[in-house]
Amino acid sequence: MAGHHLIEAYLATLGRQLPADAVEELADGLDETYQRHRSTGLPPDAAADATVRDFGEPGTVLRAYVRQAPGRRTALMLLAWGPIVGLCWGATLVAGHAWTWPIPTTARVVFGATLLVVIVTLALAATSHHSYHRTRLTIGAATVLIGLDGAMLCALPVVAASFVWPMALAVPVSLTRMTLTARALPRMLTH
Amino acid sequence: MGEVRPLKPEAQLLKGHLDVLLLAALADGPRHGYAVREALRDGSDGRFDLPTGTVYPALHRLEAAGLIEGTWSTTDGRRRRSYRLTDAGRRRLAADRANWRDFAAAVTTVLDGPPWPATT
Repeated sequence: MAGHHLIEAYLATLGRQLPADAVEELADGLDETYQRHRSTGLPPDAAADATVRDFGEPGTVLRAYVRQAPGRRTALMLLAWGPIVGLCWGATLVAGHAWTWPIPTTARVVFGATLLVVIVTLALAATSHHSYHRTRLTIGAATVLIGLDGAMLCALPVVAASFVWPMALAVPVSLTRMTLTARALPRMLTH
Repeated sequence: MGEVRPLKPEAQLLKGHLDVLLLAALADGPRHGYAVREALRDGSDGRFDLPTGTVYPALHRLEAAGLIEGTWSTTDGRRRRSYRLTDAGRRRLAADRANWRDFAAAVTTVLDGPPWPATT
């Protein structure tokens, strides 16, 4: 590291929010910039000041990271998929007379409440502008969502009285969402 | 007559073009984030002078899209991440370059007006 307190404070501000790899990359860039300014003859304080100005306000940099955060982008993707999946399953439940299926009321309530929490959590992650931590809420929400899709797919052949045509849409749509979500998880976990 | 206001600050003009500019900055070979920013600034005679800190997340987005690939190395005892174009990135750059040339030619034609003398 450059070793100047101004740069270290700058990095510490961003380090409180950003993943370790991102901070390490920024540290290298800050160091390189600082050394360039020093090589032009600037004294340490002026070089550090110029370096921090080159990099931009911490808030600006943080917003740029949050905008590109895998968690935020995945949350937006899942929220966009929500109405499609909901419509397919809604049609399946109505066409199949789901109210007659042998599912305990408690299970129905728990499922609905969990889905609601997932949606709210994804909305919180998707609307984050200043908090990288908030974008990471998607990791939990996405994992639970895979579980909810899986529960629906496993329960369907057991509880449904007969085949109804919307199932032919709901099942592949859920499987696709599960696949996309599972593929997005590793990147969210490492960034 | 009132003062003519500039259309937009250059940072705004960059919106929508940043991806292709970053890809172009990597066309000659791998670069790390700071060098990409320098290439953008020097290549535009200082007009595209982005805050360095905002270049890194843009590179991460391109990496997530599979257009560039980042690798860590160790330089002077510190870890450094460099980026290079992937095959998909090269294809995207070529396509975006062609689109930009067509677009720029069309805009220039409209802005310069019809050849003199103009029809009535």
